[in-house]
Amino acid sequence: MTTQPPRGESPVDLPRSAALEESRKRNAALFTILRAADSTENERRFARDHLISLNLPLVEHCARRFRNRGEPHEDLVQVGTIGLLKAVDRFDTDRGVEFSTYATPTVIGEIKRHFRDKGWAIRVPRRLQELRLQIGSASALLTQSLGRSPTPRELAERIGCTVEEIVEALESGSAYATLSLDAGDSSDGGTASMLDAIGAEDEQLEHVEIRESIKPLLDALEAREKTILMLRFFRNMTQSQIAEEVGISQMHVSRLLNRTLAHLRTALED
Amino acid sequence: MSSMSTASGRPHVELRLPADSAFVSVLRTTSAGLAARLDFTLDDIEDLRMAVGEACAIVLTGATEGDLLAEFWLEQRTMTVRVSAPGAPTELDPEEDFAWQVLTTLASEAKLEHTGDTVALSLQFAALPLETGV
Repeated sequence: MTTQPPRGESPVDLPRSAALEESRKRNAALFTILRAADSTENERRFARDHLISLNLPLVEHCARRFRNRGEPHEDLVQVGTIGLLKAVDRFDTDRGVEFSTYATPTVIGEIKRHFRDKGWAIRVPRRLQELRLQIGSASALLTQSLGRSPTPRELAERIGCTVEEIVEALESGSAYATLSLDAGDSSDGGTASMLDAIGAEDEQLEHVEIRESIKPLLDALEAREKTILMLRFFRNMTQSQIAEEVGISQMHVSRLLNRTLAHLRTALED
Repeated sequence: MSSMSTASGRPHVELRLPADSAFVSVLRTTSAGLAARLDFTLDDIEDLRMAVGEACAIVLTGATEGDLLAEFWLEQRTMTVRVSAPGAPTELDPEEDFAWQVLTTLASEAKLEHTGDTVALSLQFAALPLETGV
């Protein structure tokens, strides 16, 4: 039996907690300036700006908790920063809590609101939105344990609702249009996106024989959409397998496939 | 094509819609609902939904007016869908056409027929046995 040193006392943790202590102190000092009655307008603005940039890593951290949900990381950081601004303006130093403790729920709340409100092209009842999220996680679990994609009946049993409700919720999924469809341009710097991770597929795509008329259309597709299309129809992978390979949910694969097919169809007609 | 013979006799479900692509989503939803009843997996349901959409797109290409008729034959974990609409024979080279490639990947069997002035596309979907474990 080896005895673990109590958490927080291991020497490895020391620099980190020291850094935390340091940022706590800076937060407190800046808030004192921001709230002090005798601070000048310039001092307040300076303190506020510094508080925001000092706490941006917190927003990064919160946004990262929502990765792989189909929204670009940058967008989540952006809405999360709105939460941070609100937190800085509303924080009450007399409450005796750390600023990060106060700000985290505000930032996360703002990100969640973004998913809830902005992600849905059509206003879908909250009940269905929540059921859809439940289906997403239950479906991932069942796919893992069954080794195949689950049936609606199995999902209904797991979640404790009716098969009809499952079908209804899945249908509402088509009303969910994420902004990530417009994103995916990784050329403007920023963090590595999913597209970067799957870029290697392109080499194989070139070997696929494609009908001439559709080839330019396929070429014009975004790399991810093209990859998903190829995996589905030329490598015959299931949506669940593609979801795993590309690192997005099966429902998202479904949306992308449907959208891409519709797009190709209209483009061919023109 | 012998297994396609299941698509005979009176269909279990019929749905008549305006021959207009705006109504295709209703048909896709209906198909998904029926497949859920037959214990199809989510993957299979998505395939079915997509294939029905593609089939309608093909059938509706030449349709000018009239109805889009969808007929469903429901068996134990097998579904046959026949979508038809009035229209001129569609030129479709099975080897070349992208939509056809999509259909044959998604469905177990696909068959395009012209009878009179009607274009019909039959698709058969067999759900995989519900094995567990890999």
